[in-house]
Amino acid sequence: MGEKVRCEAREQMSVSMSLVLDGQLNRDRQSGLEQHVATCPDCQAAWNAMQQVSTMLAKSPMVGPSFGFSLRVERRLAERTTQRRQLFRGMALLTSSLSLAGVGAALILVIGLGLAAWLWFGSQPAWQQAGGSVPQVASGLGLMGKGASLFLKDLLERYGLPVMLLLGTGLAVTGGLWAWFFSRKPDRSHRNGYA
Amino acid sequence: MDQERAWILRALQGDQAAFGQLVRAYERPVYNLAHRMLGNAEEAEDAAQETFLRAYTRLATYQPERKFVNWLLSIASHYCIDRLRRNARTPQLSLDDALPPQWLTSDGERPEQVVDRKQEQEMVRKVLATLPPDYRTAVVLRYWYDMSYEEIATTTGSTESAIKSRLHRARQMMAGQLQVA
Repeated sequence: MGEKVRCEAREQMSVSMSLVLDGQLNRDRQSGLEQHVATCPDCQAAWNAMQQVSTMLAKSPMVGPSFGFSLRVERRLAERTTQRRQLFRGMALLTSSLSLAGVGAALILVIGLGLAAWLWFGSQPAWQQAGGSVPQVASGLGLMGKGASLFLKDLLERYGLPVMLLLGTGLAVTGGLWAWFFSRKPDRSHRNGYA
Repeated sequence: MDQERAWILRALQGDQAAFGQLVRAYERPVYNLAHRMLGNAEEAEDAAQETFLRAYTRLATYQPERKFVNWLLSIASHYCIDRLRRNARTPQLSLDDALPPQWLTSDGERPEQVVDRKQEQEMVRKVLATLPPDYRTAVVLRYWYDMSYEEIATTTGSTESAIKSRLHRARQMMAGQLQVA
């Protein structure tokens, strides 16, 4: 008694209704829909509700942000830029320090091993120095260590303290330049009063 | 348009003032999308700000043959969908929910007009809140930005047939809500 009968074609009609609202249904199919809706209370109710929703949404105005939105974005942008810059600087400092330390350690290792090999290899009898890969490597390292130590010794003997001071100063200046490069303020694009 | 292109080029070179001009030009459409998607002013403000920050960092990927505003809306819609999914919540609002502050005041309107408008806005918010994020995006882009199926598909990274289907399902759901109310 008074129960609503669900139209079997409702799903198909519903697709057409949506297309009509978007202006995507051709005239023939649109008139077919209109005829069906005129005789089907179930689809009539669905069509009315869909139109009502569509009208309500179409009438609803665009809402905007509160005053000063762009300034708030610019402030966040500046903060984020600073954070990224600091992160980049930290990473650059870390990687550069690690690579410098790595190079230094490798040099010390080569010189140390070379000197050790030179001392050890020099003390072996001649018959043990011939043939085999280990003695060959030890010999090579020994030569490198010997070369490095002779070079340093020669420098000290020939030029003495001044050359060591010069080397020290050169290293300090290089380090200073390197530190300045990574800690300086970038750059032309941020000098516009917004950063 | 030339002005917009000039701002984009300057922003690409790191000029934040030029980017500020782009923000001022498009803050309203971006904010509106976030507001319709997320359902409240506070989250909309945050999402709109985040959209512009992302746009700034990804500006080099912008393709000039595309409308800049659509590119921004694409970033905004993806962000809002992610946010809704991350929060695992789709605002289900009751009639007792408070209205956002900007709807509570109005100049030059009679009290009954204000009440009608507020009720209508509340109804819009309620019906949108019943939709899954993907459907909501399609509806918002269709009704507030008058986008075609093709434009919505490009903006959301979907297909035209999927958009057609989403709009249909969304309308069915919203009409169902209205019939129940």
